[in-house]
Amino acid sequence: MNSPRVLPTDRELSDPEVVARILSGDVEAFGIVIRRYESGLLRYATRMLGHPDAAADAVAEGLVRAYRHLASCRDPARLKSWLYRIVGNRCRSHLARRSASDISLEDAPPLPDPSDTEAAAERAEQLALVQRALETISPEKREAFVLKHVEGLSYEEMAEATGERIPTLKMRVHRARAALLEALKEEP
Amino acid sequence: MSHIDPQVHRVLDGEIPADELNAAQREQLAALTRAAHALSALPRASVAARVMAEVRRPPQGAGVRLAHWLTERHAVTISFRPVWSLALAAALAAVAVIPGHGPGPVIGDQEGIAQFVGRFPGAKSVDVVGSFTDWRSGAVMLRDDDHDGIWRGTVVLPVGQHEYMFVVDGERWVTDPLAGRYVDDGFGRQNALLFVRSIAR
Repeated sequence: MNSPRVLPTDRELSDPEVVARILSGDVEAFGIVIRRYESGLLRYATRMLGHPDAAADAVAEGLVRAYRHLASCRDPARLKSWLYRIVGNRCRSHLARRSASDISLEDAPPLPDPSDTEAAAERAEQLALVQRALETISPEKREAFVLKHVEGLSYEEMAEATGERIPTLKMRVHRARAALLEALKEEP
Repeated sequence: MSHIDPQVHRVLDGEIPADELNAAQREQLAALTRAAHALSALPRASVAARVMAEVRRPPQGAGVRLAHWLTERHAVTISFRPVWSLALAAALAAVAVIPGHGPGPVIGDQEGIAQFVGRFPGAKSVDVVGSFTDWRSGAVMLRDDDHDGIWRGTVVLPVGQHEYMFVVDGERWVTDPLAGRYVDDGFGRQNALLFVRSIAR
């Protein structure tokens, strides 16, 4: 008896396979890209912008833009870095607009959910403290620290995501660590 | 700005183990590790529904698309049915410039769309390899959603000439018999040639 034909799951499809499906007209396959990278991109944008609504806007705009320009992703095996680059650009645009309208980064610090347990509330408080410290350092250093130590990108992936050279990024990460450590000392 | 000992940077960059640090260095390492851990909490929000609603939204009405289809160049499919064996599976291929006004990705000025269609009854997978994939398999997968043996795929390629072959079930390389133009691959077989034109013209 023949074995039943096993259809590929999301996890079995490589990024280039998913990209090929989308480019061949399978719009729904873009859902795989979203499921695969949405959480990390939202976290990255939230750390960069400090405001969950602005982060959601940046990621949604970035993902729609990625879909529209998917054909220009020259190396689908590096889709992840490409998506971080697009969302990073959206974050920079949001920061530039925010700077122009002089709105504080601290207008909406993350708040613990009332239904959280004590431990979760403590984690939320710790996150708020570190996020405040993170927002005092420059966007370039913030981006370097988050990509390296929160998103776990390699320096090669960071270079693809930012367009910067690896030695520049290493120096920026080193300075970001020092700046963040200093900022954490000044937090109450 | 705080001074961070170079040894701490080396640990954070994965160059040396943490047990080579002294107490003061470990304190710096712990502070940065705690910060990164706190920041790694994932947000609860999701933009999936919003994004999918946007990408599914057709950019123009059916009447406009029909007008484009009637007045502009588009892909033509020709069927080919071999009778001697699956090893020389029949294939169809059409390469054409089609309008760039659909809901799909934006096409650059120096790019065009290539559509691959082939008949491979019983195949479990079919993909296209070529000069545009560095001859690596898996980048351009064809699909046979209705299981009729006709495998299809559309890709965006740079304008110009490309060589390609079909790969059936991940191991059988098949030259497109209806490509019309071929070039010797240097190994005794022939690669099919396709020419992609810009849709900007």
